[in-house]
Amino acid sequence: MKLLVCIKQVPDMESRFKPNGSGTWFDEADLAWRMNEYDEYAVEEAVRLREQLGESAELTVLSIGPDRVVEAIKKALAMGADRAVHIQDPAVADKDPWQIASIIVAHAREQQYDLIFTGMQSQDRGSAQVGVLVAEQLGLSCATTLVGFSYENGIVTAKRELEGGIKGVARLRLPALVTCQLGLNVPRYPTLPNIMKAKKKEIAALPVDGLLAEPAVAVTTSFHPPAKKGGGVVLEGEVGVLVDKVIGILKEKTAILR
Amino acid sequence: MFLELTEEQKLIQETARDFAVNELEPVAAGLDQSDDRTPMLDNLRKLAELGFMGLNVSESYGGSEAGVIAFSVAMTEIARACASTAVTVSVNNMAAEVIQAIGTEEQKRAYIPRICSGEFTAASFCLTETCAGSDPSGMMTQAFDDGDSYVLDGTKLFITSAPYSGIYVVWAVTDKDAPKGKGISCFLVEAGTPGLIVGKEERKMGQHGSATNEVLFQSCRIPKSALMGKLNDGFRTAVAELAGGRIGIGSLGLGVGLAAMDFATRYTTERSQFGQKISSFQAIQWKIADRYTELEASRLLLMQAAWRKENGKSFAKEASMAKMYATESANRACYDAVQMLGGYGYTRDFPVERYARDARITSIYEGTNEIQRVIISREILRNFA
Repeated sequence: MKLLVCIKQVPDMESRFKPNGSGTWFDEADLAWRMNEYDEYAVEEAVRLREQLGESAELTVLSIGPDRVVEAIKKALAMGADRAVHIQDPAVADKDPWQIASIIVAHAREQQYDLIFTGMQSQDRGSAQVGVLVAEQLGLSCATTLVGFSYENGIVTAKRELEGGIKGVARLRLPALVTCQLGLNVPRYPTLPNIMKAKKKEIAALPVDGLLAEPAVAVTTSFHPPAKKGGGVVLEGEVGVLVDKVIGILKEKTAILR
Repeated sequence: MFLELTEEQKLIQETARDFAVNELEPVAAGLDQSDDRTPMLDNLRKLAELGFMGLNVSESYGGSEAGVIAFSVAMTEIARACASTAVTVSVNNMAAEVIQAIGTEEQKRAYIPRICSGEFTAASFCLTETCAGSDPSGMMTQAFDDGDSYVLDGTKLFITSAPYSGIYVVWAVTDKDAPKGKGISCFLVEAGTPGLIVGKEERKMGQHGSATNEVLFQSCRIPKSALMGKLNDGFRTAVAELAGGRIGIGSLGLGVGLAAMDFATRYTTERSQFGQKISSFQAIQWKIADRYTELEASRLLLMQAAWRKENGKSFAKEASMAKMYATESANRACYDAVQMLGGYGYTRDFPVERYARDARITSIYEGTNEIQRVIISREILRNFA
């Protein structure tokens, strides 16, 4: 069984961001980078399935970007992926989700993966589109925002997070793609011996030029946001109503109540 | 010249930082104020499982084989959250390294994997005595040759991790007629050996999570195979291994100093007096500039010492310089951090008073900074003689 997990390297969210020269993205100089949080859930779930299936499965990790993304790739290898594909693209930030998905598809179509894991979204762009676009282009069954996952006899059982704190369960036949949400699992720390051993695992480097044929479909432009007017929400009403509103917000916006 | 960490070193730093933030920081204040060490002992086991107890130890003995630079950056990240955990990790690494450096193959196979895996919660380094601190050659503990065994008698002082150690690296006099510093040998004594008694625990100013005890040897009989390294050559080993330990303690000091300055600097951007944030006052700005510059210089000195050790170059002078400068910078950072928080800095509601107490020992243990200066000046003067 061939498994793929797609990861993105993003800036540490504690960083101080400033706009880049064209005003369409952040300046990448002097930032600390790490694996996108949602992709860590994807890697963890993929590694668990790889461990469940044993030697009959092979887990590949894929990332698109400049040389620095090799660090995130090595983390996934240290967590338990078997091999890696690094699609070399110094200008990855200029590409829209459709193009990113198309690049992944160009690689994945010939590899015939049985199951693909991605994060629910990236912490920097946050489009939440790449996973579903890959599934659409490859014609895979797809479930998004997973908070529960199990696999048996060719069937994926996916517990999905829906709006308003409601959960839903979907069963998918392979080949399939799932996108992973906070709450799915607690990613393991890579052990130090595994970090060192990851050096010996294969990282296939592919130039992006041979994989991207699609033009951008999203337009990115620079504009000045309106002046900020006070933040926060003021709730009003009787105590009972207020409590219901707070519980509703906590369920919808946070991981505290699920 | 290349000043960037490798991808592996960055991942080890990130793993140490994530573990420190998620697991160590939440229990650090509690460890400082309670006698219950359970949370720290649990974390030591987890750190062992992740490979932090044998960073510079060969994979064949269960180590991570990640090198000295990785050891240094990991120690700093751990110490940013909890100095007590950090000193235990540093001493465990040092014990594993000394066994790897001079142990027999049997000793290496018997003990190093148990330190690295966490089967032994900790390992102890028994050198100091009441009358043998900066001058360990004055030690009184003796090992008598009794045919097929040695018998240890004497008392060791300030022994880190003694109550939960699995193995004790012990120095003792084996030839009392030899010239000073010559007749000392090194032994491995397993926990539970009859005659090995863990004595009273010191009530310390800081680093409360880490136990520091007397260890008594009373007619403690150990097999001949417990001798580590050459007979009567133990003092040289002790001196050589302490140099590696100094990189660990310097890195620990750097971590505590950074934690203190990071906390205090953030505080100055939130605290207002005279109608403005106190970070807008030059008196505060100069503290920030001076202390961070010193901490950055400490980091570079530590990286140099670690790089030299990792690449098989002499590093005793550089390790002493790094230990001395980093631990003194850390103490100044903690002093100023308390000052920047004013009265709040002196209370237990904020962590800087703990950092200040935890940092204080770093200029004393692993060789006082006075001894570091002796080593540094001796190495320099040698080139002028």
